[in-house]
Amino acid sequence: MKHELKFTLNGQPYEIYIKPKTLLVEVLRDELGFTGTKRGCSSSSCGACTVMLNGASVKSCSILALQANGAEVVTVEGLAKGAELHPLQKAFLDHGAFQCGFCTAGMLMSARGLFEENATPDVMTIKEAIDGNICRCTGYNSIVRALTAVSKGEYKEES
Amino acid sequence: MSKYSVIGTRVHRVDGVEKVTGTAKYTFDMVLPNMLYGKILRSPHPHAKILSIDTSKAEKLIGVKAVVTGKDTIGKKQGIWRRFPELCDEEILCREKVRYIGDAVAAVAAIDEDTAEEALDLIEVDYEPLPAVFNPMEAITEEAPQIHEGVELNININRHLEWGNVDDAWKDCDHIIEEQYVCSSQAHVCMETHDALASFDHNGKLTIWTSTQAAYYIQVLAADMLGIREGDVRCINPYTGGGFGSKFELDSAQFCAALLSQKIRRPVKIVLNREEEFTATKRRTPMYYFVKLGAKKDGTMLAKEVRVITEGGAYTAMGATALYLTGFFSSFPYKYPNYRYDGYRAYTNTAPTSAMRGFGAPQSTFVGESMIDNLAEDLGIDPIEIRRKNGMTPNYVVPGQAWIQSCGLHECLDAIEKHVKERGKLPPNRGIGVSAYGFMSGGIFNWFDTPYAFSSAIVRINIDGKVDLFTGANEIGQGSNTTLSMICAEALGVKLDDIRIHSADTGICPPDLGAWGSRETLMNGNAVKRAAEDAKNQLIEFAAAKMGINIVYDMDIKDGWIHLVDRPERGVSYYDIVKDAIRGKDGEAIIGRGHYTPHRKGMISPAYSFGVQAAEVEVDPETGRYKLVNVTTAHESGTVINPVGIEGQLEGAIMMAGGYGFCEDQPMDEGKILNPSIADYKLIRALDMPETEILEIDTYEPEGPFGAKEAGEGLTNPTAGAIGNAVYKAAGVRIRHLPITPEKVFRALEAKKKQEK
Amino acid sequence: MIKDFEYLAPKTLKDALTLLDKYKDEDHKVIAGGQSLLVLMRQGLVAPQYLIDIKGISELSYIKSDAKEGLKIGALTTHRAVEKSPVMKNGYSVLSEMEKRLASVQTRNWGTIGGNICHGDPAGDPAPVLIALNATLKVAGLKAERTVPAEDFTLDYFETALEPGELLVEIQVPSPRPRTGTAYSKFNIIESDMATVSAAVSVTLKSDNKTCDDVRIVLGAAAPTPRRAKKAEAVLRGKEVTDSLLKEAGNVASTEAEPLSDIAASAEYRQELVKVMVARIGREALARAKKA
Ligand SMILES: Cc1cc2nc3c(=O)[nH]c(=O)nc-3n(C[C@H](O)[C@H](O)[C@H](O)COP(=O)(O)OP(=O)(O)OC[C@H]3O[C@@H](n4cnc5c(N)ncnc54)[C@H](O)[C@@H]3O)c2cc1C
Ligand code: FES
Ligand code: FES
Repeated sequence: MKHELKFTLNGQPYEIYIKPKTLLVEVLRDELGFTGTKRGCSSSSCGACTVMLNGASVKSCSILALQANGAEVVTVEGLAKGAELHPLQKAFLDHGAFQCGFCTAGMLMSARGLFEENATPDVMTIKEAIDGNICRCTGYNSIVRALTAVSKGEYKEES
Repeated sequence: MSKYSVIGTRVHRVDGVEKVTGTAKYTFDMVLPNMLYGKILRSPHPHAKILSIDTSKAEKLIGVKAVVTGKDTIGKKQGIWRRFPELCDEEILCREKVRYIGDAVAAVAAIDEDTAEEALDLIEVDYEPLPAVFNPMEAITEEAPQIHEGVELNININRHLEWGNVDDAWKDCDHIIEEQYVCSSQAHVCMETHDALASFDHNGKLTIWTSTQAAYYIQVLAADMLGIREGDVRCINPYTGGGFGSKFELDSAQFCAALLSQKIRRPVKIVLNREEEFTATKRRTPMYYFVKLGAKKDGTMLAKEVRVITEGGAYTAMGATALYLTGFFSSFPYKYPNYRYDGYRAYTNTAPTSAMRGFGAPQSTFVGESMIDNLAEDLGIDPIEIRRKNGMTPNYVVPGQAWIQSCGLHECLDAIEKHVKERGKLPPNRGIGVSAYGFMSGGIFNWFDTPYAFSSAIVRINIDGKVDLFTGANEIGQGSNTTLSMICAEALGVKLDDIRIHSADTGICPPDLGAWGSRETLMNGNAVKRAAEDAKNQLIEFAAAKMGINIVYDMDIKDGWIHLVDRPERGVSYYDIVKDAIRGKDGEAIIGRGHYTPHRKGMISPAYSFGVQAAEVEVDPETGRYKLVNVTTAHESGTVINPVGIEGQLEGAIMMAGGYGFCEDQPMDEGKILNPSIADYKLIRALDMPETEILEIDTYEPEGPFGAKEAGEGLTNPTAGAIGNAVYKAAGVRIRHLPITPEKVFRALEAKKKQEK
Repeated sequence: MIKDFEYLAPKTLKDALTLLDKYKDEDHKVIAGGQSLLVLMRQGLVAPQYLIDIKGISELSYIKSDAKEGLKIGALTTHRAVEKSPVMKNGYSVLSEMEKRLASVQTRNWGTIGGNICHGDPAGDPAPVLIALNATLKVAGLKAERTVPAEDFTLDYFETALEPGELLVEIQVPSPRPRTGTAYSKFNIIESDMATVSAAVSVTLKSDNKTCDDVRIVLGAAAPTPRRAKKAEAVLRGKEVTDSLLKEAGNVASTEAEPLSDIAASAEYRQELVKVMVARIGREALARAKKA
């Protein structure tokens, strides 16, 4: 039997009907077409599927979509405002914080979760925040540099 | 100031905005109308005869649209060493026999993934298990079962390299050491698993979108395996989530998707799951090394003899190349007057081993750099000094093998020596190990037997001055689209923003052998540069005519300004001349063409990069646990085209090669990989990553575009060796079996304590 | 592939217990954060017909503490909430330290401390710490409530003392006695990984601030369940705790461990690690006790 799922995605309310076993990542990618969020392992180990759920980063491959009933979800598609990139995105571009880009959405959302909690994290806190995200390309240090620059206030959100 | 406008500048990647906004589409993200989802049934046996396959129940399941087995194929065996038919040994969908746990036996296309998976459970395969062999040393004995018909002692291939006279040289050596090493397996762990979306139309033409390093190879091999013409296959590599050597052979996702689509004439998409990615795709070649090394008292190395047996797994794959390169790079980066290598690749009933970043050189460098430290210690010589004494120099010729033009090894040694000094006296239980390395910039070998140039490019200049660059190069994350766009912009004299690159779509791009062997920057870079210059020369003709220039003047384009080289203020706008030129050519767009195939550079590669790395570790003597504290690399890769790209390659290599040295492994039980998940396969994460420093050494490679050469795979070579040497310095134990896990260090420490008692 | 199931999402504890009672003889499963359960369901190892989702029961998510009653944590409190709670500073900081190294931030943001304990993984981080802290677990069924000492809760690999129809509802940690110090650490190769071996030690000193009045030593990932090393405790109890005595305790603890060999480490190596870990963490606990 399908169940109703009502939630907000990147500010837009959605009401859909899904099988209870549907995972949050499947709703985002397969039902609603938001393919920016990736899957690298489907077992909560790689972080490619990280999204924000009620202000905290979570792995969308390991959450039943119905558990997001009533929640606010933000994906990588919700970062930029139109053509204006989010400060995190600008920092990633400037610091070459990605290569193949497959981990990038998850990295950005982990970073977003971090800055939501702490506007000026130190390097250890930054590393801890992205430790759940595997990147096979960059070796992480460029990502840490990008986020350190954000932490130092080098990238401000335009209001 | 740099003489270049684009090259060497810190730019945003040309695919950057799409990647940070999540709009970049990977094969993984693609959906076509009417698309079906495919799944592959794999062998649970390491070695078995297929007696029968009954697919009738699966076919009856509602939602299943097609099932294929080996019987639906044209019965060909494929391989990437096409010049040697006996090495093309992989059916992909097995017909008579399975040779490893994970070999494919059937595939299903259904309306959704769940249905396809359910259908797999309904396929009945009757197997007759056969005796199996897993260890290459056992595989090459008389008693071992034969894995491929007619292949005696399971020896898939052997390789011999020799120069000088090794046997005579031993008697001139003051000191000889003989050691054995074991290099482990490693998984590529691309974040995007292998996937393909294949769509046959009713005219019999196939389009296949796939995550690949070599769209051209996939086009050719798919056509061959399906019995259709190359021109009827269009392979498109959209964005690719990592390759590292795992994605340039035709794989089960591509072949099964294509075969299913051929049968049902609907688009079929197959995405391997992470477990299949670990167990049923290829991996780094495990190697058993037996080495003898001799030197004079003063540290001059006179002779080296290397014997290697590699675990081939079930098929040849790119293992033949790995076997060759590990032999060649065992001599690197030193001038051995006498050298002998014998390598044997044994078939085993394990997942096939193949290419992985570094291609046999990380193994040989680990062994070689461990041994040179041992030799130095025996002789009482400083490790950097012994490397300096024997290290390659510019214009060195490896006897009968290769001509090395640019080489900055000695400058790298100087830089690392300075770095080590600067670290000062280390706290207890810390140690710094060094490791020197070199690598090629693309291979000269043509085992694929392509009739085309190794790299080609086409430049089309449009009326507004915007340039379309068409190249067969494959962007897999390494940044080739950015680097090639930079080369094009520089060569043509326009802004990076003027270039729009179209790559790795065999329907519209000229062929290129792909992104492996660190070849794109040098080889495709040369092709792109030549194409851009061809177009530029056409524009200059028009500019010269328009300006009425005295023919003694030389003209060039820089920053969109076509000008006299000696009087740069005299010129015309590039954008204006483009309009004139197109009008002057009767409306034909300006097209420039370029290609590159290396010639007269020996048998291996047109150019080589070098470097030296220092790894610092801190060992906990009570547990053997050690931490990677710092990894500093001095390296040279010719002219640096894309500095951000090189930094990323280097840091990424340390994550991967550090993992090879420290924790990554694929333990098996009777051919079954025991850790086929990211939770169990240990990968270095952000908190484990050491601090990294890069010391850039200037060189110029005459063979490369603007003097550039590789900076991709070579960077994976030194780290395991540097870690091994650092552990030795810190704890006094030498580990000869990768990975150097804390448990191994602990056991060695215990053994040492016992010995000292 | 996850098999289809019927989904029930009670919003109150009472509704949950009623549902559980109704389905207790059926093939059912409780899901909290699902961080452990969904992995098993995806592999087909668990395929319940009814899935009862308790994650939305907000009354089970809380952290309270007072000097008399000690610390109370609702079973559905997330790992991250425990880690970040200022309450942990009142003598429970070891819980916060333990949580900080449990999995990744994302998993801690969604996974619950109760779910972790009910999963019964011998390598789990919270259980050894809670046992060292002498915690009690409150378990509720529709008809009755009971409490189980944390050390008696895990019965075997992935098996707990929960009866069908019961939920873990609260974790109760007594206020630490004066001069008590507790420490925990895990050994692993990748920082945020599951433990290869872990140990928690809690030491209470006599008023001379030297002699061990009481001690609890708990080993993780060293046996089918988190396990107290009681013989090792006996080595320390009533004695002045010195480095060499701690070493001896470590050696004895190692004889009490019954680790397995797996891909992460051999049983022998785990045994050696127990020796080192117990001595080191004991030293840390002692230092904390002296300061407390
Ligand atoms: C990548 C990864 C890394 C991890 N690393 C660690 C680690 O380092 N250390 C560590 O300790 N853990 C680790 N874990 C395990 C995990 O974090 C916890 O076990 C998890 O948080 C459990 O909580 P949950 O709420 O998600 O439980 P669920 O997965 O929902 O449930 C787990 C089990 O408990 C039962 N259950 C849950 N709540 C209750 C309840 N209140 N009453 C009765 N039964 C209940 C469920 O039926 C199920 O059987 C890791 C997990 C992942 C995915
Ligand atoms: S896909 Fe969710 S963590 Fe890997
Ligand atoms: S950029 Fe490729 S995995 Fe991170």
